[in-house]
Amino acid sequence: MEAILKLSLLLIVLSILATVFRLVRGPSVPDRVQALDMLGFLIISTTAIFTIFIRSTAFFEVILLIGILSFISTVAFARFIERGYAIDRKSD
Amino acid sequence: MIGNLIKGLTVVIILIGAIFSFISAIGLIRLPDLYTRAHASSKSATLGVLFILLGTFLFFIIEEQHFSTKLLLGIFFVFLTAPVSAHMICRCAYRSRVKLTETSIRDDLADCMCVEQGMSREGNDV
Amino acid sequence: MPGQVLVNLFIAILWMLLQDSWSWLTFSAGYLVGLFILFLVRRYMDSEFYPIPILKIIDLLLVFLQELLMSGIVVAKQILQPRLNLTPGIFMLETDLEHDVEVTLLAMLITLTPGSVVLEISPDHKCLYIHGMDLPESFDSVNKSKLRFEEKIRRVTRK
Repeated sequence: MEAILKLSLLLIVLSILATVFRLVRGPSVPDRVQALDMLGFLIISTTAIFTIFIRSTAFFEVILLIGILSFISTVAFARFIERGYAIDRKSD
Repeated sequence: MIGNLIKGLTVVIILIGAIFSFISAIGLIRLPDLYTRAHASSKSATLGVLFILLGTFLFFIIEEQHFSTKLLLGIFFVFLTAPVSAHMICRCAYRSRVKLTETSIRDDLADCMCVEQGMSREGNDV
Repeated sequence: MPGQVLVNLFIAILWMLLQDSWSWLTFSAGYLVGLFILFLVRRYMDSEFYPIPILKIIDLLLVFLQELLMSGIVVAKQILQPRLNLTPGIFMLETDLEHDVEVTLLAMLITLTPGSVVLEISPDHKCLYIHGMDLPESFDSVNKSKLRFEEKIRRVTRK
């Protein structure tokens, strides 16, 4: 059982390496944002498997928070690329 | 015995999720342009994360008798936001004129886009 | 619908008062009794019997999950082809849905169908521009599943 968990952790580490490769290499800025978005998912997966290793429920908030932060940062980056600013200062 | 079997099943669910994540990472390297990579990162990756979180959720129910609402909320949130973020990335990429790959055979958006670009530019000026 | 939930809670609390036992078990029993009473008088209510919309929402959620599973497998197959021979492209899809929520749900569902990501929504909410992974096939699959999705979404959002 531990072996299967270690195998899946290894697979996820390999995918993180692949994503970092795309993050460094990506020809355009949206490519890099996409890689960051995917990196958020992979970090969530790593945390989830790690909580099983140490049998602790303390990291569930971390999972939730990384999910929220990754979504918000993706949306903010996308808006920034599209319009040149992320937050509307002129409220109407 | 049966408890061990069910525990093994949850670990296998986690392994399936990891394999899906790995496949989508391969796709992130192999596929030719941003728009096709968005398919990999929005579908396979989401499926992988969902499987891993589901496996963790079931594992903690069985092993520790701990029903975690936070994890359930996390699953729901990831499930709901993944298509939205893929859509946002694709849209900003198209607006900032990232090219489609050469093998693309159709682009219905190109002729409509000139009109809309003019409109949104006016909107920004106001 | 909120009124019905309130009536149901009221009946459950009344049941607990009558039984004079304050436990979750009595509360659930009272809630079930309230559900039964509401089911009996459902014709005199102005809105639908409230578990039915909830069941419809759960049905829509199940459609979401099924589509995600299917499309994950399809995309994995396409990625693992030894030689990539994809013909991606952008096509247009017209929809009859009107409200913002409906169009948002449809766009999310289409993003989850095999080989399609919604790129852009026209300002009048009539056309969706969709990027397809492998064009003739994904165009057909989106067109086929569009009607089913629209009907399910309408059943949730309209009375």
